[in-house]
Amino acid sequence: MKPDKERKLSKSLKDNRKFLKELLGIDVSFDAEFRTLNILGTEIDIYFVNGLNDKDHINIVMKELLELNDVESKPKNIHELIENRLVNNQVEKVDVTYDAVTEILSGLIVVIVDGYAEAFAVDTRSYPGRPPSEPDTEKVVRGSRDGYTENIIVNTGLTRRRVRDDNLRFEMLRIGARSRTDVAIAYIDDVADPGLVDEIRSSLKKLDVDGLSMAEKSLEEFVVNQKGNPFPLVRFTERPDVASAHLFEGHVLIMVDTSPSVIITPTTFFHHVQHAEEFRQSPVVGTFVRWVRFFAIFFSIFLLPLWLLFVMNPELLPPNLAYIGPNEEGNIPLLVQVLLADVGVEFLRIAAIHTPTAVSTAMGLIAAILIGEIAIQVGLFTPEIILYVAISAMGAYATPSYELSVANKIARLLLVVITAWLGVIGLVVGFTLYILLLTRTLSLNTPYFWPVIPFNAKALYHILFRVPVPLHKVRPSIVHPQDEKRR
Amino acid sequence: MSKHNNQEESQHSVFLKSLFCGAAGGLIWGIVSSIAYFFSFSEVSHASFILRSFFSGSWTEGILGEVISLLILIILGIIPALIYYFLFKKLHGIMPGVMFGIGIWVLILIIMNPMFSYVPSITEMKSDTIVTTLCQFILYGVFVGYTISYEHHDRRVVPERTQNEA
Repeated sequence: MKPDKERKLSKSLKDNRKFLKELLGIDVSFDAEFRTLNILGTEIDIYFVNGLNDKDHINIVMKELLELNDVESKPKNIHELIENRLVNNQVEKVDVTYDAVTEILSGLIVVIVDGYAEAFAVDTRSYPGRPPSEPDTEKVVRGSRDGYTENIIVNTGLTRRRVRDDNLRFEMLRIGARSRTDVAIAYIDDVADPGLVDEIRSSLKKLDVDGLSMAEKSLEEFVVNQKGNPFPLVRFTERPDVASAHLFEGHVLIMVDTSPSVIITPTTFFHHVQHAEEFRQSPVVGTFVRWVRFFAIFFSIFLLPLWLLFVMNPELLPPNLAYIGPNEEGNIPLLVQVLLADVGVEFLRIAAIHTPTAVSTAMGLIAAILIGEIAIQVGLFTPEIILYVAISAMGAYATPSYELSVANKIARLLLVVITAWLGVIGLVVGFTLYILLLTRTLSLNTPYFWPVIPFNAKALYHILFRVPVPLHKVRPSIVHPQDEKRR
Repeated sequence: MSKHNNQEESQHSVFLKSLFCGAAGGLIWGIVSSIAYFFSFSEVSHASFILRSFFSGSWTEGILGEVISLLILIILGIIPALIYYFLFKKLHGIMPGVMFGIGIWVLILIIMNPMFSYVPSITEMKSDTIVTTLCQFILYGVFVGYTISYEHHDRRVVPERTQNEA
């Protein structure tokens, strides 16, 4: 049955009861319930869903209402009296049945008074959840240890703690016909680009799905046009300090209830190669860390195909690098060895994600000894392969964005294959295509490879060097801030 | 009053940015060209065109030659950027840049080839060299072209919808 979204509450309590009973399946579901009270001769119904609200709080509200029977005589307007006696800081009036149902399902209690077509939604929500803790993927040596949680209210609170600006906005939307997930668009009103906010808002409103079970990831695929592009088109963060830093820069955040990851838009390639740790160290150290990381990322893509090329064409190497390349070919072709070893590392990574801690020691041992030692001894791999595959793998792990490291891995495998096939031409064409693919990618109308192509000297300088914070005078032009100056 | 003025001013800054990006493109892709030469991906580097064809002497060969040539290339890199600014800045996307890069490659490696004594003619060139140099010119063309058209269109978007189109 499709609920009539416009149906107003009726004045008759019995009508409402019948309708809500059917809509919520109160007789079937055990967790949807209602309680009828008699206040000064008028019946009121209190609807709620078990498990989403604070039981003690509901009891206090009920007790306070029942006390009316002892202290008040029959008033003219029982509706007003009851509203006045609902002990809670958030009481809203609803007159559409569907809205009331949504509130009940969100964990509020809805109080309906006989004879009045207007109900009260009292916020007694208390969701099961965990306290803020340091996110696993974005650890720092020093600095704040709080992270976003699965509760959007906690998340907006954590953000407000860092941005006390009166211009900070959290626009709340409900998305998903069945999941009715809360989604908030966060931005600083006089800084963020209104065009971008409009675009995100309208694409979110257009969205018509059952539910967002994978929360922000499902949402992301609707907002940006991913198609066949393996690169991460938005950046995720679980750190409130990173999120607020981006708010100050003029970025727009999308927060989705039930997920601790917040989407940062617009994003470029170079947002994925930065890490909070760089900003927790002195500028020189931060720059050093960043350069090492750039090398690691570069190696994770190009080292393996480059090495393969030099092994296949030793004449390319300048004389002082001539020692590169295996002394013996081994028993199987080099390309097959490289692919096997690389895919083997991938096995390990995928397995490590869902291996329970108790078994992971055994897994590490098997991987290190069997794949490393024995594979060489039985003549499956030449030792050099292990070295270069390991460096590429470490380079991938040094990539701050997990999504980017996996996308780069695909790029690396393709480059290895095309290099083995076409030699120098393969590698050069592959490199060119890699750059061109990044360049033509757009994330929410933002060029992905900015500030390299299109070139922006100032922004590139900020990427190559970790500039001291007092010198951050202007916001990055990529977000089209309304207010360019930082104060 | 300021609207007209602003537009003129921003066009002026786009012009300067175009020159600057041409120079930066010369530097970046010049370094890439030197690396490719060092690893023998290509028989020629920018120094083969700029120095070795006109001067002889051991200084043109090593790293010193590459660095001197790189400095000259930074200045030469401005010329294609100027041409792109005046002819193609209104175009969108990366394809014009790719075409532009191929165009410069044809001009320098095929049409102007006889001018450079140190550079083998296109028929004698190894296929590796052809592809490597072509890719370098394409990347330079995209770098210059995309940057200039981005800057140009950026100045013209309506303030209410400041999202730029690419």
